[in-house]
Amino acid sequence: MKVILHDLDWQYSQRLLTKCDAIVEADGKYAPCKGCFGCWVKHPAECFIKDKLQTACRILGRADQLVIITKNLYGTYSTKIKNVMDRTIGTSTPLCVYRQREMHHTLRYGKHALLKVLVYGDITEREKATFIYMVKRNAVNDGYNKSEVLFFHSAAEAERAV
Amino acid sequence: MKTVLVNCSPKKRFSASAYLAALQSFFLKGKKVTKNLRSKKDYTPVFEQLKDADSLVLCLPLYADGPPSHVSAFLEEAELFFLKNNLHPNLYCIANNGFIEGRQNEALMQVMENFCHRAGINWCGGVGIGGGVMLNITRIVFVIQTAIFFIQYIIGIIQTGLFLNTGLLYAFLQNAGLLLFFNSGVLFFLIRMGSAVNKCSVSGKHYTRILLPSFIFILIANIFFTLLSLFQGGLFRGWLKKK
Ligand SMILES: Cc1cc2nc3c(=O)[nH]c(=O)nc-3n(C[C@H](O)[C@H](O)[C@H](O)COP(=O)(O)O)c2cc1C
Repeated sequence: MKVILHDLDWQYSQRLLTKCDAIVEADGKYAPCKGCFGCWVKHPAECFIKDKLQTACRILGRADQLVIITKNLYGTYSTKIKNVMDRTIGTSTPLCVYRQREMHHTLRYGKHALLKVLVYGDITEREKATFIYMVKRNAVNDGYNKSEVLFFHSAAEAERAV
Repeated sequence: MKTVLVNCSPKKRFSASAYLAALQSFFLKGKKVTKNLRSKKDYTPVFEQLKDADSLVLCLPLYADGPPSHVSAFLEEAELFFLKNNLHPNLYCIANNGFIEGRQNEALMQVMENFCHRAGINWCGGVGIGGGVMLNITRIVFVIQTAIFFIQYIIGIIQTGLFLNTGLLYAFLQNAGLLLFFNSGVLFFLIRMGSAVNKCSVSGKHYTRILLPSFIFILIANIFFTLLSLFQGGLFRGWLKKK
């Protein structure tokens, strides 16, 4: 399954829907994570906050290919996208193992094929380097076999690269 | 000299960031103020304090390899605040993460450095601490142990009339010493960074962790989460299943 997570408006969603199986639109209309671990220890793969991200981890978890379109913010994801990532740690379980010689959680939905991150907006060289490193870290943490980061001036260019 | 410490954990009580902020504050001289950052309504009190601050110490948890989203939102506002008010304080960062490797905070540290460049403030480095949850538990265990020690000590006096119970004291010191040992890497780097904050100098990036071998840590973490899930009920609600 190919899933797109993006921080653009609904018109993009409509167009992008033809290029994937599911879309998560990061519109910012949801609460940030409260750090309670309830989605691991109380009601697995479900957040106690009743908004559109309550069971979003079940969509992201099933992605063989996850494409993230995000505006750059200091070399990492925009706040709206990061909010979705924080609220969807139910894609993993609370149990820990060694992965690539480091401690990580086991994956509720197993390994994924590709994490592709399309970054748009103003970005410095230093921020690019951070972003490349960040996505590599996410790929190990979330169990993606391959990852890729591409940079674009505008959201429209990023959309074309999906 | 004024330092503002900000505890950025979204948890109201018992956060590792609050513990680390308190520890760091202990090693600081001059005026020090600690504020919480959990939601947008906390921005104004933090900005008020930053108007005349020399240094800002951000204490935050690592979420999905970076700063939590409510911290990203704060950084965006803080960038505008620093630029608008032409302020250039020093920024230090204390990040803690659940996994044992403190180095997993490296991407977060880079983001903080990039933020400083955009906001025109001085990046002075930070400490990335692995095993934050467990370190936090050690301080809670220490408080409980101390309370039990005093209760036993008083009961001992009542029962025997002796004020010096060396056996009891020895056992207490042994346990406290062990907890101190687990925390000694953190203490070392926070003392070092504290002295840099006091001198308004660059501290650099350093990584440390709870001083335990990782295979023991992983075993304890798995037992901890299993027990927690047992009490919270998640164990019986498709704990590891695809949902
Ligand atoms: C949404 C979320 C994401 C997390 N991601 C990571 C991670 O990528 N790596 C890690 O080592 N710990 C991760 N953790 C664990 C926290 O960093 C850890 O629990 C920390 O000690 C919390 O600090 P606090 O008590 O100050 O909030 C995550 C926790 C949450 C709630």
